[in-house]
Amino acid sequence: MENLVIEGREIPLDKEGFLRNLGDWSPQVAEALAAQENIVLTEDHWDVIRLLQDFYREFELSPAMRPLVKYIDQHLGPEKGRSIFLMQLFPPSPAKIGSKIAGLPKPTNCL
Amino acid sequence: MTLHIVNQSPYAGSALSDCLNALHPGDAVVLIEDGVYAVNDPRLSASADNSFCLGADAIARGVTVPESIETIDEARWVALCAEHNPIVSWFR
Amino acid sequence: MPRKSILAICRHAPYGNALAREGLEAILACAAMDQVPAVLLINDGVFLLLEQDAQQIGEKNLRRNLAALPMFGVETLHLCERSLRERGIDPAQLSLPGTELKLLQNPGAFIAGFDQVLSF
Repeated sequence: MENLVIEGREIPLDKEGFLRNLGDWSPQVAEALAAQENIVLTEDHWDVIRLLQDFYREFELSPAMRPLVKYIDQHLGPEKGRSIFLMQLFPPSPAKIGSKIAGLPKPTNCL
Repeated sequence: MTLHIVNQSPYAGSALSDCLNALHPGDAVVLIEDGVYAVNDPRLSASADNSFCLGADAIARGVTVPESIETIDEARWVALCAEHNPIVSWFR
Repeated sequence: MPRKSILAICRHAPYGNALAREGLEAILACAAMDQVPAVLLINDGVFLLLEQDAQQIGEKNLRRNLAALPMFGVETLHLCERSLRERGIDPAQLSLPGTELKLLQNPGAFIAGFDQVLSF
């Protein structure tokens, strides 16, 4: 995948579009990564992105789908802790696409 | 009954003692590869009622298997695996 | 056919070799495939529970990975009491948020109750 260029700075991506250096992440980088997935970020997206990053800080791994749903449920409530909500935000594979936009490594157990 | 398989020398690591600590009455222990160096280990005879040793691995290493341990060939090993459940590997 | 019960045995300390990390990855992979295994920490595997700062040696903190297990559906960790005592670890001092720690006096009887055992 082509590297991103944000404000004249080149941000290297791996072949699936994940950041090569997690330290490169910024909100602008997230917007650009989301655009590659044809996603325009809304407040709901940002809530999930922040929780993905919290999850990664807490457990040092990117969540698969089930743990992501559980974590969102614990922090945003059962209305949002549902796979359908996440599917609408980050189709077609919320754990993978969400992790990518949040600047996390690819979930290890994600097919 | 559980079948425990040990492939490490008792002088090189903890595989044998780890295995013996998790032994349940009636369980079987099979010594293979470097595990055959455990044939004379007193802890084995003290804790395990059913011990087996893969003959080819013992002969290959010049290890004499005492009568308290049954020497088996590969067909018998396969049979033991089929007779027992679960199978636990104590490797490394 | 009824689903087979799976036990993952973790008996190696973190960081000295890759086994502890591989074991945790296998547990997470099983759980992500809806085959949630039971988990037994025994022998040096109990060292996974110590508070640790793996950044010091440039490694991932495996206790933090362990703490993710409830998120993956593994809500109980079984601990070999004898292994803890041999290593001078007081079980009363141990805790892992969101996880029930269950002490086993007889790990052999526990192991015998499973269909499949993965050991790391």
